[in-house]
Amino acid sequence: MAMPSTDLSPDDIARLAARAGLPLDASRAPAVAATVNAIHGVVGALGELRLGETAPASSFDAR
Amino acid sequence: MTHPYELTLSEAADAVADRSLSPVELTTSVLGRIGETDPATGAYVTVTAESALADAARAADDIAAGRHLGPLHGIPMALKDLIDTAGVPTTASSLVRADHVPSQDAAVTARLRAAGAVLTGKTHTHEFAYGTTTPQTRNPWDTGRTPGGSSGGSAAAVASGAATFALGTDTGGSIRIPAALTGIVGLKPTYGLVPRRGVASLSWSLDHVGPLTRTVRDAALVLDALAGYDPSDNASIDHPREEYGRLLGRDLKGLRVGVPVNYYFDRVQPDVENTVRAAIDALTGLGAVPVPVEIPMAEYVRAVHWGLMVPEATAYHQDSLRTSPELYTDDVRILLEAGEFVPATDYIRAQRARTLMRQSWQELFERVDVVAAPTVTSTAAPAHLPNLLWADGSEEGVSDSYVRLSAPANLTGLPSLSVPVGFDGDGLPIGMQVIGGPLDEARLIQVGHAYESAHRPVAHLAPLVTSAGAAG
Repeated sequence: MAMPSTDLSPDDIARLAARAGLPLDASRAPAVAATVNAIHGVVGALGELRLGETAPASSFDAR
Repeated sequence: MTHPYELTLSEAADAVADRSLSPVELTTSVLGRIGETDPATGAYVTVTAESALADAARAADDIAAGRHLGPLHGIPMALKDLIDTAGVPTTASSLVRADHVPSQDAAVTARLRAAGAVLTGKTHTHEFAYGTTTPQTRNPWDTGRTPGGSSGGSAAAVASGAATFALGTDTGGSIRIPAALTGIVGLKPTYGLVPRRGVASLSWSLDHVGPLTRTVRDAALVLDALAGYDPSDNASIDHPREEYGRLLGRDLKGLRVGVPVNYYFDRVQPDVENTVRAAIDALTGLGAVPVPVEIPMAEYVRAVHWGLMVPEATAYHQDSLRTSPELYTDDVRILLEAGEFVPATDYIRAQRARTLMRQSWQELFERVDVVAAPTVTSTAAPAHLPNLLWADGSEEGVSDSYVRLSAPANLTGLPSLSVPVGFDGDGLPIGMQVIGGPLDEARLIQVGHAYESAHRPVAHLAPLVTSAGAAG
């Protein structure tokens, strides 16, 4: 049985954009959705890393 | 006869110092060269001829009066249009910033002006540095091709003699990629060595500023002026000033050169692989010892890079995306919009993965002094070509391919120097990058200079071959 897709649809993107206050014409939603899904596919590879107690690389100097 | 615009920075500095060349002659020559080349290359956004000549005249007067500030005094330079210049438009090659005239210089602009350099103008970037092809600009080795990017204007200017040196910025390879594709030298310093105040950001975690020059020695001279702590950049490293050319001329005997057994030679054009391997052999011939190395976490480079850059870029542009989204070009706008939908936890996961990647590269540098590899997978592609096709049948977007080998040094913050090492069968330049341990720029300059002295003693300008589709 095929896994249900986790991709966001153009309608999902339109709804999330409205919530974020991002003006997004409906005609742009399919292309943005495709880009979001591509990015998710790339970044999702990090899910398999076991990060344990590893802290983020971002930091600041408190002086 | 050699025209002054043909001189390298070091040669020009020597001629200015011994009074055989005046900064006015040099600047006039470079401005004339811009007039000849820019219609074909489209390297410049803005040319500041009037103020350049005034600055050059002032430099000439100061030098004549015995106030010589050093090797950059009276030398013409171009700055990427992401870098603030007081009173000179700084557009990031975007309509979003079409009216932006900064009131203050960026930290690097101020440092170069203090060293006496003369600004000839601002050079094109891929819009807001978010891309690696710089579509406004063409490659002076073949104007039907891209110069790479995002510092494509700076690279095209230096390669064609339209600037004696230039600055670029590098978030995934944007100094080194166009340097490699236009046959010049590009140096991405250690993260935090050169301050970024007054430079439009693409990704705070990954942004670097550095020089594009015709020789490695020239890069050292520019870095001498750029490096140093600046508390206004929260990534700035409090590190003592150095003279980056101090190892020039020292031999490479016993230097351990890491040669990657994975990642850096995968899906690379055969001419690029063969030429870079020959250059590594040449380093061995100069006394270096090759050490095979496994590149750690290579399979996560793209994921960490995107996971950091995409949401940070969107955060930087969040307000303009809401007020004037129509002013962005479409390829940049869509990436910025898509970045709104990356979960914060994915971003933090990328920052945590980066910690591991940095640690594993530090362990790698316990066994080698430098790593040598191709800078870019391929030579300059025809302008506007969307994808590269590899021998294994896979397709890869040109921008994805261009950053693939340069991004690791952004993720780890390690310094990386790209030097020209030859040409492909079509006469297009090939670059080799030499990556070093943190703050080991002087070593990279030693290695790059040793190669250059033995195998590329003359830094020729690009021939300005014009072909279909020159810049408009």
